[in-house]
Amino acid sequence: MSNNWLDKNTFHHSDFKDLNRLVEEKKKKDLKISLCLPTLNEEKTIAKEIIIMKSELMTRYALLDEIVVVDSGSSDQTRQIARSYGADVYKATDILPQLEPFKGKGENLWKALYITKGDIIIYLDADIKNIHHRFAYGLLGPLLLYDNIKFVKAFYDRPISIGRKKMRPTGGGRVTELVIRPLFSLFFPELTQLIQPLSGEYAGFRQVFERIPFPIGYGVETSMNMDIYEKWGLDVMAQVDLDRRIHRNQDTKALGRMSFVILKTFINRKIRLGLIELKDDLYDEMIQYNLVNDQYEPDIFKIEGHERPPIIEIPDYCEKFKIDRPKIQKYRQA
Amino acid sequence: MNDFLEQLPGLVDQIRSLREIIITNIVLIGQTPAPTFREKKRSKLFMERLAEFQVDEITTDGYRNPIGIIRGTDASKPPIFVLAHMDTFCEKDQPLNYTIKADTITGAGLLDNSVGVGVITSLPVIFKKLEIKFESDIVLAGTIQSIGKGNLRGIRHLLKTWPTPIRGGVCVEGIELGRLNYYSDGMIRGEIGCTISDESNRLREYTPNAIIIINEVINEILNLKLSQRPRSRIVIGRINGGANHGRLAPEASMGFEIRSDSYKVVKDLFAEIRDIVEGIGHRYEADINLKTISNLKAARLKHNHPLVKQAAAVLNALGIKPITKPTESALSIFLSRKIPAVTLGVTRGENRYQENATMEIEPMYRGIAQIIGVMKAIDSGVCDEQ
Repeated sequence: MSNNWLDKNTFHHSDFKDLNRLVEEKKKKDLKISLCLPTLNEEKTIAKEIIIMKSELMTRYALLDEIVVVDSGSSDQTRQIARSYGADVYKATDILPQLEPFKGKGENLWKALYITKGDIIIYLDADIKNIHHRFAYGLLGPLLLYDNIKFVKAFYDRPISIGRKKMRPTGGGRVTELVIRPLFSLFFPELTQLIQPLSGEYAGFRQVFERIPFPIGYGVETSMNMDIYEKWGLDVMAQVDLDRRIHRNQDTKALGRMSFVILKTFINRKIRLGLIELKDDLYDEMIQYNLVNDQYEPDIFKIEGHERPPIIEIPDYCEKFKIDRPKIQKYRQA
Repeated sequence: MNDFLEQLPGLVDQIRSLREIIITNIVLIGQTPAPTFREKKRSKLFMERLAEFQVDEITTDGYRNPIGIIRGTDASKPPIFVLAHMDTFCEKDQPLNYTIKADTITGAGLLDNSVGVGVITSLPVIFKKLEIKFESDIVLAGTIQSIGKGNLRGIRHLLKTWPTPIRGGVCVEGIELGRLNYYSDGMIRGEIGCTISDESNRLREYTPNAIIIINEVINEILNLKLSQRPRSRIVIGRINGGANHGRLAPEASMGFEIRSDSYKVVKDLFAEIRDIVEGIGHRYEADINLKTISNLKAARLKHNHPLVKQAAAVLNALGIKPITKPTESALSIFLSRKIPAVTLGVTRGENRYQENATMEIEPMYRGIAQIIGVMKAIDSGVCDEQ
């Protein structure tokens, strides 16, 4: 395996700090850019993301055309706060309401394609405590300046907040190192060049996102990497070092459930690609145990693993974006 | 100036329309650590932001105070200084992740003084939007080494070495909206430390306890007679000591502050405390020492100084009730150099020195309008007549 891609397609956010140049490219190429923030109870961080992005990349530099929040039904003030700072806020269930509703990050990202206007869509997690506009312009840079690049992922040196006054200097990405990297090494060695394949921040052209399926939950990043790689190859992908990202820490059990979903997504993709064959169906339940009064009690987490099809196959979407459906069918057959 | 006073309330809405930029500046500044003596990162960001806002000149003075200068329309007028201190009480590795809600911002060091620095950083954009011009050059300064052991070194150096006369100054503090400080008390901050060394203990029958010794010092300080006129007081603000519950404390320390209208009274009280410390040191044969952390001379503008009167008028025009109290901030350095200046607070808030320091967003817009109003007053000449 060659490391060419890693050398050629890996950037640092500071490579794109000349925002005037990005604005010029955007104008020249006549592109619209949307920022989408999927949320579920993010009242502590959502306002800061909106304010900084709006100040720096809308008011001061006309890079973003809209900031859209797609919410999974927060029970806190997330939607009200986001609205008060001028974001376009939607409940995921209100978008394409005729479809069976699902709840998850992937659902929000997929539905965002229907309500955003951008030719480029930036997805940022809404729980970034040290948000800075580099998170957006860093991802936009390769898309605007390199014609071959259609999808960009973030990677970080990720400290985790472990206490009020303490911070671990490096770490995070445990699921990446323990689950994803071994799998990629076994099956798709080229993809190991993605430093953090599970990072929740990425951007790409609509033509890419609308043509890939979106798992509803945690598996969305894994499947996105594999689908884009399989359809267009590694050369349309790039990764950008955004330095440091501070986020909530998750306990081992939560990471276990995340790993379960990712493994399932991965195996399903392999089956679909005809690369492996299973004699039985996979189970839907992740079983963990708690010690309660000296007794081990199972804690069962049911994950059905729903997946949305490429949104370009949804008639409402084609109608809204004036896409010729027969052409799509031809494309699919091809 | 009266016309401008009438226009002031109308500026508030225009300032509010720049909400995102102002809050972004406060948050980006506030999330960049700047403990006293280690303000470099925040200073760099301050200058970068001013550069992005196309301030005419950006530099540092010989002491590395970061400065931005907006050129005025009349080169013959001396400059007006607007400043906020860069340093905070937060530690270097303390996570500074601010939270913004619909009406508030929360985060360590926010009120002292990320709000002040963030607002100063935003002034060039606000002037542009409001189409406000000044005859004088406007010097926007973030002064380093201000609080605690910094002892206002940054501002002392900045004013001492500034090559031209200075027309007037506005010191910006996060809270409290309505403060109109135009005089400062004389002040000395000191620290008393007591250490019981293992070696000296071998010769004693009873081992002394550093906490008890410090307690003796406190008792004697409390016995000091404080004058009512000139008004004076001693605050015992900090105490530290001991190792664990069952061990005689080998170390203890306390921090205190003496304040008075008269610096002579402050010095006399400090001398009395020195005597107490020496006496107790002899009595207990303990290693006990007294250090000065910082000091300030008392200085004031008269209450009927045109700057004070005009600043009060600005606050009143904006519906803000002026509150006058002494302050120990950079103001005293301006006043001791005979430069008329006031200190203003930007907004309302709570938990000033805690991790969850919180400011209200809405009052900030009037707070910014008041700063501009006072700058305009200085630019109209209220400090020139004295």
